[in-house]
Amino acid sequence: MSPEFSENTKKKVDEILSRYPQKEAAILPVLHLTQQEFGCISPEEEKLVAKLLGVKPIKVREVVTFYSMLNREPLGKYHIQVCSNLSCSLLGVENLLDYLKKKLGVELGETTQDKKFTLSTVECLGACEQAPCMMVNFDYYGNLDAKKIDKILENLK
Amino acid sequence: MVKITIDDKQIEVAEGTTILKAAEQEGIHIPHLCYHPAFPSEGNCRMCLVEIEGLPTLELACSTQVRDGMKVSTRSEQVVEARRGVLEFLLAEHPLDCPICDKAGECKLQDYYEEYGLFESQFNETKAKRAKKTEIGKSLIHDQERCILCTRCVRFLKEVTKTQELGVFNRGLHSEINIYDGVPVNNNYSGNLAEICPVGAITDSDFRFKTRSWFLKNGESICPLCSRGCNIVIEHHPGFARFPVPKRVYRIKARENQDVNGFWICDLGRYGYSYLNEDRAEEILTNNQEKTGSPSWEEVRSLIAQKIKSPPYKKIGSRMALILHSWLSNEEFFLVRKIFQDDLRVEKIFFVDPPEGEKDGHLLTPERSPNRRGAQEVGFDLKPLDLDALAKETELLLVFGHFLLDFFNRAEVRACFEKIGTKILITPHINESGYLFDMVIPTASIAEKEGSLTNVDGKIQSFRPVLEPLGASLPEWKALIDLAKELKINFDYYRRLYSVEVILNELRKEIPFFGNKK
Amino acid sequence: MEEKILTQHFDKKNFYKIDVYLKEEGYKAVEKALKEMSPEEILEEAKKANLRGRGGAGFPAGVKWGFVPQEVDKPKYLCVNADEGEPGTFKDRYIMSHNPHMLIEGIIIASFCVGIHTAFIYIRGEYEAVALRLEEAISETYKRGFLGKDILNTGFELDVYVHRGAGAYICGEETGLLESLEGKRGHPRLKPPFPASIGLFQCPTVINNVETIANIPQIILKGAEWFCQKGLPKDGGTRIFGVSGMVASPGIYELPMGSNLKDIIFKHAGGMKKDKKLKAVIPGGMSAPVLKEDEIDIKMDFDSLVEANSMLGSAAIVVIDEDTSMLDVLKVVAKFYSHESCGQCTPCRIGTSWINKIVKRIAEGQGKKEDIENIIRLASNIKGKTLCPLGDAAALPILSIVQKFREEIESYLAN
Repeated sequence: MSPEFSENTKKKVDEILSRYPQKEAAILPVLHLTQQEFGCISPEEEKLVAKLLGVKPIKVREVVTFYSMLNREPLGKYHIQVCSNLSCSLLGVENLLDYLKKKLGVELGETTQDKKFTLSTVECLGACEQAPCMMVNFDYYGNLDAKKIDKILENLK
Repeated sequence: MVKITIDDKQIEVAEGTTILKAAEQEGIHIPHLCYHPAFPSEGNCRMCLVEIEGLPTLELACSTQVRDGMKVSTRSEQVVEARRGVLEFLLAEHPLDCPICDKAGECKLQDYYEEYGLFESQFNETKAKRAKKTEIGKSLIHDQERCILCTRCVRFLKEVTKTQELGVFNRGLHSEINIYDGVPVNNNYSGNLAEICPVGAITDSDFRFKTRSWFLKNGESICPLCSRGCNIVIEHHPGFARFPVPKRVYRIKARENQDVNGFWICDLGRYGYSYLNEDRAEEILTNNQEKTGSPSWEEVRSLIAQKIKSPPYKKIGSRMALILHSWLSNEEFFLVRKIFQDDLRVEKIFFVDPPEGEKDGHLLTPERSPNRRGAQEVGFDLKPLDLDALAKETELLLVFGHFLLDFFNRAEVRACFEKIGTKILITPHINESGYLFDMVIPTASIAEKEGSLTNVDGKIQSFRPVLEPLGASLPEWKALIDLAKELKINFDYYRRLYSVEVILNELRKEIPFFGNKK
Repeated sequence: MEEKILTQHFDKKNFYKIDVYLKEEGYKAVEKALKEMSPEEILEEAKKANLRGRGGAGFPAGVKWGFVPQEVDKPKYLCVNADEGEPGTFKDRYIMSHNPHMLIEGIIIASFCVGIHTAFIYIRGEYEAVALRLEEAISETYKRGFLGKDILNTGFELDVYVHRGAGAYICGEETGLLESLEGKRGHPRLKPPFPASIGLFQCPTVINNVETIANIPQIILKGAEWFCQKGLPKDGGTRIFGVSGMVASPGIYELPMGSNLKDIIFKHAGGMKKDKKLKAVIPGGMSAPVLKEDEIDIKMDFDSLVEANSMLGSAAIVVIDEDTSMLDVLKVVAKFYSHESCGQCTPCRIGTSWINKIVKRIAEGQGKKEDIENIIRLASNIKGKTLCPLGDAAALPILSIVQKFREEIESYLAN
């Protein structure tokens, strides 16, 4: 069963391809769309993208494994990425990370049993004025403390 | 032209030359790992850093082009320290595999460590563990721990074979080179990867654990397995004094020749060297050997000469037949033509060559023998064998080569041969076909004699012996000269042809195609 | 300083919408540039303004544009570097979120100057919300006729696209960015050749940081001299300093180039959090060597910081207080570079991870006597030997921490 893009995504992909003189250049935007549509980029998706861009699947895998935001395996519904870099470290992000580990019952890189949350660390998010921060999927949350984290998680359905 | 100074030596080089090439021209070797002349500079190993006067940082010799007045130092304190630095990094995450690694003795890391390193490891951490001894192709074994990520293999498969079986995955220290699941390295040039890998990350499974590189002796030769005439190096084991070694030739490597094969050879030629080791004819074999033992060449050639000369000499042209193959050298074809076609007027001259194969879009030609062009230029029309025509009135048949049974089955050959009086096989190899003949004369393979071959593009390449001839085998050219002298036809002419060099000169004089060509 | 250049209207509601932007002289610079000036004149202004790159390297923008050959039979490209991966840096996020149109204006003018008809904004993948806002703004700009074909009836055409990265700091390095934009792994290229001659898709390319380009409209409207005077003679304009760490008021502060670091921390950013003592400051993003507390009375401009053996970089100021262990800082620094090394060249690939392993071991209480010397030697073997600047970006800060705070680090070694 080889995966196919939805009609909507196909339209977006066609538009993206038209921006570049070489189809290959569209690989990152296409991979983002692929990840959104299929949850991750498994070998099936690698072949799909490879065919679309006229490259070999190995080339797609080379790219996917290079970039931190591209996942080869499915994650939880909400990917909690806690910044582990400088300003956040100075402002106690380690403790918040421990708090999250205990609260969710997972170690770094793991997904909760109900497949709702995956916890990982991430490099500087570029929101240091709000340290400590984290990113849940694409949403930024800053000036965190345990209470705020509780609230945020509660509101994630 | 540009004037530069390298290590206090003033030299002149062409504009656009890199420092690395300029140094090479002067016999100065600048260590490098990722650079290979077949590809544009990659610049990732950082081993070739050199000092250029006036510049604050060291620069890469492999990619920096010379400029007029440049002063380069390849051995300053800074440079030597930089090399040690790179070595220290590479060795830190490199497994101590030398005792079990096939690359030992020809490994760049070993070589450079000996020259520039000789430090004790300061690495007190845990090395990254990765996959070892994985088969990534029909003849390749991959060890990710040894890999230094020079990416020569990846670039080869991208730019030369354009098949891209290998890629670089992950990032940083986790970077690794690997195949895509289920898509092994499966092209006709995979063997080159083991050669260009500077360390033992990609090794040949054919060579794995067979011997040590320092036991082998190298000799330059030409590959005879197709008509490209790729330049090769034959590596053989001369044997030990006190016990035997199982093989003679252990490995074939590519030899650079920009006019013929570039930097590479194909897998067919690289791994097809069993013809040098196996099934070799080493003795003269005759039908009644059990009683009389193996005869000498002197006896045999006088026998053949007699058979040729009697009965009446003038009908020899229709009484004799020849089957040739295109593994004979230019000189040997010349002799066959002069003796049999010109002097003895033999008309029935046929060719049986190995069956044709597929092209591979690069070096491999469909013709699987090295000298068809040579045969043509000497004047043969490469008539394919017609068994009926062969048997008509033939009393003496000389067959060069062992490819008969590739085209005809035993029954039909036997039926044909029954009509022929004496059948003599002149070949380096003994196989099933040998049993059809009355006599087998062992000859030398291309690696054991000297001569020249003409490749598919008309390029004439000379070769010299690299291996000792086996047993009583002798080169075809010598057998032919001896036979000619024994026949006493045109004696003065053949008497003078005592070496391949002289024969080649004659050939050049007589046939313009071979004259004055390099 | 009264009039800011980039952040002047940040507090206006919906300033990111073109209707609001147009009310504040929005796109007047484009009109002036395209209708009243020639590309050569614009280039002159950029050079006279002494506008130096705001990404980190500080290369003069006008000079960079001048390297692009005039007449070529290949298309030319502009890449706006919005990767903002340098730890401590968040200024471009503000510019793109609050003032996207000033950036777009700058793109149009720069493209007109160099003869570019396609521009890509390479934005880091994590800034999805910002990317969406940029795309909105670009769409508005097209609708108003400032982008697309025949802009303002001058015949000039330009397309601008947002291209998202996917989490790789090395794609903020200009040639790593190009490789990524071309659809490959973000491995930096050997230079020469330089992007101005062989860049994106083998064509002449200009790569500039967001803040650099965003300065262009005001330079055009008010003149290079005005811009230059805001800063220093060789270093014109303002900088958006991003202050974070142990300060009372972290955030962005647009101040003249050459402002005093001590003032920025204590006068503008509210001083130390909880009145702690200052221990160290990283003045220009993590790649800038750290300054001790007796070194912070310094002018924040490119040349002054080079003299102090540090760098202005992305002007991201991270303030460290007395309660913070410098080993913890070293841990974060070592981990970051080993994680972000692309892995292409030997010293960075292996060196950054080796140093990281040593530092981790020290932090776990297993430090050995020779570790400090080893770190210094390894960092020195990375410095100046790598294919791209990430090697130096790793080696220099690590060296500065280990050398300036040696006693403190040594106190963690197992005795």
